Amino acid sequence: MSDVVWNLGIHHFLALAVVLFAIGVVGVLFRRNALIVLMSIELMMNAANLTVLAFARRHGDVRGHALAMIVIAIAAAEAAVGLAIVVGVFRAARHANIDRLTSLKH
Amino acid sequence: MNPAPGPNAEAVFFWLIALLCVGGALATISRRNAVSAVMCLVGTLFATAVLYVMLYAHFIAIIQVLVYAGAVMVLFVFVVMILNKEEEEPWALRGVIGKGIAGAALVYFSGRLIGLLWRVPSPRGEPPPSFGTTRDIAHELFAGYLFPFEAVSLVLLIAVVGALVVAHPKHEAHRE
Repeated sequence: MSDVVWNLGIHHFLALAVVLFAIGVVGVLFRRNALIVLMSIELMMNAANLTVLAFARRHGDVRGHALAMIVIAIAAAEAAVGLAIVVGVFRAARHANIDRLTSLKH
Repeated sequence: MNPAPGPNAEAVFFWLIALLCVGGALATISRRNAVSAVMCLVGTLFATAVLYVMLYAHFIAIIQVLVYAGAVMVLFVFVVMILNKEEEEPWALRGVIGKGIAGAALVYFSGRLIGLLWRVPSPRGEPPPSFGTTRDIAHELFAGYLFPFEAVSLVLLIAVVGALVVAHPKHEAHRE
């Protein structure tokens, strides 16, 4: 009976993951700084991981943990490539404002 | 986990951590200064790691702190140091109608999703003691998921090489 999930219910974790994901989407939609956009993407990946782990707990299935570990590795790779692109863009354009990066538009 | 001191102590703890998580996330997307945004994100990641521990994912929580809150965030801090410029207008208000519709749709679908997930029944009782241990995850990873595991290592290698190629300043020196 000392179990958190037993006392509290798994749906709290799932709802929290939805809220975190929504905050990440808001960050991607409404911020201009490319770095903050990347951080919002990290936030969304964390929310997805939280969901995966909550369902792994729900079904008592440790395969969800393996999936979460792979997601973390992919997120690290994504952050490395994304930050390299931001550095490259900053070097070429002297800013990292995604609204002013329109050279591919025309 | 230790026996609870009171009937609702863990619920209080969960709400505290959830508040920290959401507050950190909101601070991350609202800070004007990128360094403080990174710090708020680190706080959020630590709070998420605590939530993972609550879900009996001890190993993933440790990986989260080591890889995410450690390595990836150090990468972010370095990039912020390279290009530390505060924005004059941090919030994108161009195309405000489309973004308003997108925000409304986001709120609506989040509400629907929470309503759907709220009915997920909770598991009965505690998981087996081996649940979430390194041995259990390693067995799963190296027995059933060996190919994805190796593929991830290849993806990491390609990502590192790709990041070097993209961020290397040699091309620009040739152009100038």
